[in-house]
Amino acid sequence: MDEHKVIDSRGSFCPGPLTDLYAAYKESKVGDVIDLLATDPAAKSDIEAWCKKSGNELVEAKEEQGYTRIIVRINTAPR
Amino acid sequence: MKRMQKKILILGAGTSATMLANDLASKLHKEILNGEISVEVLAENIYHTFQPANLDVAFKGANPGDFVKSEISLLNARVEYVVDAASKISLESNKVTTVSGKEVNYDYLVIATGSVADPSLLEGLEESSLNFHTGPFNAHKIWTAINELKSGTVVISIAGVPHKCPPSPIEASFLLDEFLRRKNLRNDVKIILTTPYARPYSAEPISEVVEPRLKKKGIEIMTFFNVSRVDPQAKKVYSMEGDDVSYDLLIAIPPHRGAKAVIDSGIGGKYGWVPTERDTLQIKGFENAFAMGDATDIPVSKSGVVAHLESEVVSENIIALLRNTGKLVAYNGRINCPMEVGNRHGLFVSATYTSQTQKQTPSILKYVMKKAFGIAYWVVLSGKLNIIMSLYFGKTHYPKVEGEQQAPVS
Repeated sequence: MDEHKVIDSRGSFCPGPLTDLYAAYKESKVGDVIDLLATDPAAKSDIEAWCKKSGNELVEAKEEQGYTRIIVRINTAPR
Repeated sequence: MKRMQKKILILGAGTSATMLANDLASKLHKEILNGEISVEVLAENIYHTFQPANLDVAFKGANPGDFVKSEISLLNARVEYVVDAASKISLESNKVTTVSGKEVNYDYLVIATGSVADPSLLEGLEESSLNFHTGPFNAHKIWTAINELKSGTVVISIAGVPHKCPPSPIEASFLLDEFLRRKNLRNDVKIILTTPYARPYSAEPISEVVEPRLKKKGIEIMTFFNVSRVDPQAKKVYSMEGDDVSYDLLIAIPPHRGAKAVIDSGIGGKYGWVPTERDTLQIKGFENAFAMGDATDIPVSKSGVVAHLESEVVSENIIALLRNTGKLVAYNGRINCPMEVGNRHGLFVSATYTSQTQKQTPSILKYVMKKAFGIAYWVVLSGKLNIIMSLYFGKTHYPKVEGEQQAPVS
């Protein structure tokens, strides 16, 4: 069954959000969805670039109250 | 009636543990002499290493023995130092079991067991790579290896995050470049730095400073490269993003984990990073237990400066609890990582929980300051330079306001 994980990286600057995403990705499989909550303004563009590089998908980056919810769908398992 | 003695138990004997023990021994000297309080350090290490010098050992040929002192010589005489590491920590019952089987009860506990660079965490890494994160004597193996180099490709690879001293892979790249230029071998040896991040240094303002310098030196960068395994036979490093790179010499920053005792005690999950309140440094859910330095899960650099500044917070908070003043203090997340960027220039990666690091111009002065910190290190541990260090760092902790959350980063 596909998993939907929520990772809270609020309050940490780069590289915090990316480090948290990598840790979640290592434990993921194709079809899983990761919601990463971030306050670091660089998180969205970094994660978007990483998704492009790694063959995953940034589904959406939603502005919520004081943070951004970055939704990543795992399309490629870690190699 | 004689009061029961209260025990402050510190696990570990690195920078933060040594500074905290000395600070408590100084501030609580009357209570210790009266027998009301004891400060005990439990650790496996007889020796204390000045870890930032590992870069000088690896790339400048410094003598590894010059950066090691006996821990007992660094501790205030009022501190009880026991060479018997913790093997099990029971936060619920205020008890630590040691490797020798002794049970130690405490009133206040501080976990300062640091981080362990562990090449065995990644397939193929241990047998294929050298590193400067597992001590000065291993760093010296890099010095031997680069002196034997005649040509080929050296890959410097960040093989796991988080790791100690975030600037060190960049520094290693510059120092290797300088070494090869001195030996007139730079045209024959390629240097490649692999990083899991989007840019050479994770923080963009600092990356904007170092990237042009790396390019000028001909150091190649592979970004978004999370090492998944190494094939020692094929001499290739593979990333979980699907890239690979061949090497003749692999210098890796190994994946890190918390101390075995922490992991074995079920604290901090698979990698043993202690869940810590980022303001008061109390272990989450425990008023009388603290964590500091590399051991915590706080999203700040694993570095000596953080260890130093956090030890001050823990000292104040333990004393506040002991004296029942209710005046806890909150750490502001200050980091201040020095970074050598070649040609005897340096900069400082400085930030707090609420202010990001800024772009800056590297200078010889900052390089000299980095070196001066290295020379002062052993005295800093004793607390004798506290006034000077406070003047340099400014205020790094504030009275904790009950119910107040850390301001969100904007």
